[in-house]
Amino acid sequence: MAGYVLRRVGVAIVLLWILSVVTFAVYLKVPADPAGFIVDIRHASPAQIAHAHHILGTDRPAIVQYEKYVVRLLHGDFGLSWATVSFFNGHVEGAAVGTIVWKAALVTGSLVLGGFVLLLLVAVPLGTFAATRPRSLFDRLSLGLSVAAISTHPLVVGLLLQLFVGNKWKLLPASGYCTVSSPSKAAIKNWRLFAPAGVQEPCGGVGEWAWHLVLPWLTFALFFVALYMRIVRTRMLEVLEEPWVRTARAKGASELRVIRAHALRNAIAPIVTMTAMDAGMAIGIAMYIETVFGLPGLGRTMIRALAGLQGYDLPVILAVTLVAAAAIILLNLVADIVLLAIDPTVSRRGRGMPFLGRAS
Amino acid sequence: MVSEEQLDAPRPRGQWALAWRRFKRDRVAVGCGVFLLVLVFAVGPGAPLYEKVVGHGPNDFFPYAVSVGMRPVGPLAVTWDTPVMAGDDPYAFKHPRPPKGTGKTLLLLGADSALGRDEFLRVLYGGRVSLEIAAGAAFVAILIGMALGAIAGYYGGWIDAIISRFTDLVMAFPLLLFLVMIGSLFSYGLTNWTFHGLINQGVFQLVLIIGAFTWFYPARIVRGQVMSLRNKEFVEAAQMVGARDSRIMRTHLLPHVLPPLLAYGTLLVATNIMIEVGVTFLGAGIKLPTASWGSLLAQTWGSILNPNPYNPATTQPWLTLVPSIAIFLTVFSLNQFGEGLREATDPRSVR
Repeated sequence: MAGYVLRRVGVAIVLLWILSVVTFAVYLKVPADPAGFIVDIRHASPAQIAHAHHILGTDRPAIVQYEKYVVRLLHGDFGLSWATVSFFNGHVEGAAVGTIVWKAALVTGSLVLGGFVLLLLVAVPLGTFAATRPRSLFDRLSLGLSVAAISTHPLVVGLLLQLFVGNKWKLLPASGYCTVSSPSKAAIKNWRLFAPAGVQEPCGGVGEWAWHLVLPWLTFALFFVALYMRIVRTRMLEVLEEPWVRTARAKGASELRVIRAHALRNAIAPIVTMTAMDAGMAIGIAMYIETVFGLPGLGRTMIRALAGLQGYDLPVILAVTLVAAAAIILLNLVADIVLLAIDPTVSRRGRGMPFLGRAS
Repeated sequence: MVSEEQLDAPRPRGQWALAWRRFKRDRVAVGCGVFLLVLVFAVGPGAPLYEKVVGHGPNDFFPYAVSVGMRPVGPLAVTWDTPVMAGDDPYAFKHPRPPKGTGKTLLLLGADSALGRDEFLRVLYGGRVSLEIAAGAAFVAILIGMALGAIAGYYGGWIDAIISRFTDLVMAFPLLLFLVMIGSLFSYGLTNWTFHGLINQGVFQLVLIIGAFTWFYPARIVRGQVMSLRNKEFVEAAQMVGARDSRIMRTHLLPHVLPPLLAYGTLLVATNIMIEVGVTFLGAGIKLPTASWGSLLAQTWGSILNPNPYNPATTQPWLTLVPSIAIFLTVFSLNQFGEGLREATDPRSVR
């Protein structure tokens, strides 16, 4: 077990390393000059451009840049976001990428976590209900819905929900994000004085936070709910055939108790591990949802860094890629370990791949 | 001379005939197959044909199809067939009449945006682009997957170990993040490969990058199949008569691997349509003015850097609904068709 975990962690580190190298290499091929973050390239003198390169550290050979990046990374420093770097009296200032990515990860985390909770709250009871009445109208309806749900793009769901529920009928906030903690008075004052038009007022508090996330959570849950319902149903059907369920019934336990205490408890464990396995896809889906609903999460941070008008903000791109990959790897590892702990007969490599196209 | 018994004996059916017989029984899959045929006809030869009938192209502007308040017209609209607005009064309450002799033209699903292009034609041409990308990327993925999977499964040992590790590695990549990154960083070189106008700009690039990141499922399927067949008698027999490895893989193993791959390929096309829509929506795919289902979906919403603010007076909900329905129907039929294909070609399913 310990050896297995160690090996997996080793593989994960190698993977992250390869990912960083690939991202770096991809970046070197980009025909955009990062000096554009600091000076206006069209009007700056060559000396000014060279100075800008020196400030950003891009005047050194690529291998040295990469080495410095890795050394800093090992000290927990993701560097400065190039888009925010300003240069004044010999001081280089800018927003730390670590902070940016941490804030974004909180947003993505609350979206994905809340989405999964909502999803399980809906999928488990409905799946169980379908399993207790196999081939009933409800069961068939859920099958049809699950087939439809697999074929629905999360963007489509998100855009339709936003357009109709959010914007047209004004039932829920259509976009924007509120932090869990209330914003400081200074932040609100700053917004009032300096914020450009179109930037929403900083808001906060648990209620506001949840209220603004209802539509994103719904979108997220709607994409996965049918699949999970099917899985809960299949597992429950298997478990309900087990001899100990018959025993529980024979000793006179009520049907509700049989399902809740005996069957569900055994059926649900693999589903918990499955949620971790779906983490990679969840981050992809979250990217769509963040974009549609304007949540400042990881995916949106990445896209903004990529779509920057002056150039491409490499430190942010690298950090988001690495953090997302690390999260996916970590969750998969946890899933594997939990799976191994629950069911030792599972082979260590190659848990069955789902057949239906589930990558997005 | 043919004897009586030989005539009476039922002819043994081939693998494909059996599969077809099984497939025919799945009504939903057959229906979806028919829909897909219609769709391919509509976006292939149908789009230029329709263009001839109505007499305008997918990128032509019709300012008269947009109201004074900048709201595009809904379905079944007949508008003046002219790209310029008569008069230049920006405060007019209604559009001035166009000059005499201007014809009328039909916009079947209305106008697409404030530019007033034909939404129906754009859906058709957008579907062509999306399907080209999806099918092309699935083809690339299956080619790569088939080659790597067959080599890994047939030779085993350290070759298999290396290829399997590589597969695991590609699988663990955050796919969408990476696609968006490569898509937006390299919007320069490959974009202009159109093969003399055969495909639209940007299609080839997306085909390559989506294909390069989705080959791992086919590779795993092929590897598993080849591994289980490698030690069968017919392979040994072929080796004994001196067939080369490449020949064994081509003529003896490929026919076994092809049916599940075909079924998987259909599902892959469905997934790829979803990916194309997503990547284009996120601004890293097909560039305007070329239509694709992703860009049509983003039409009302705007783009990442400046999302359109919602305005009840100008927003036309049709423009979100139409591409949504097109995407849903296509992906749904591909999924059902692929599922039917898989059950039909699986010799273990007895029906």
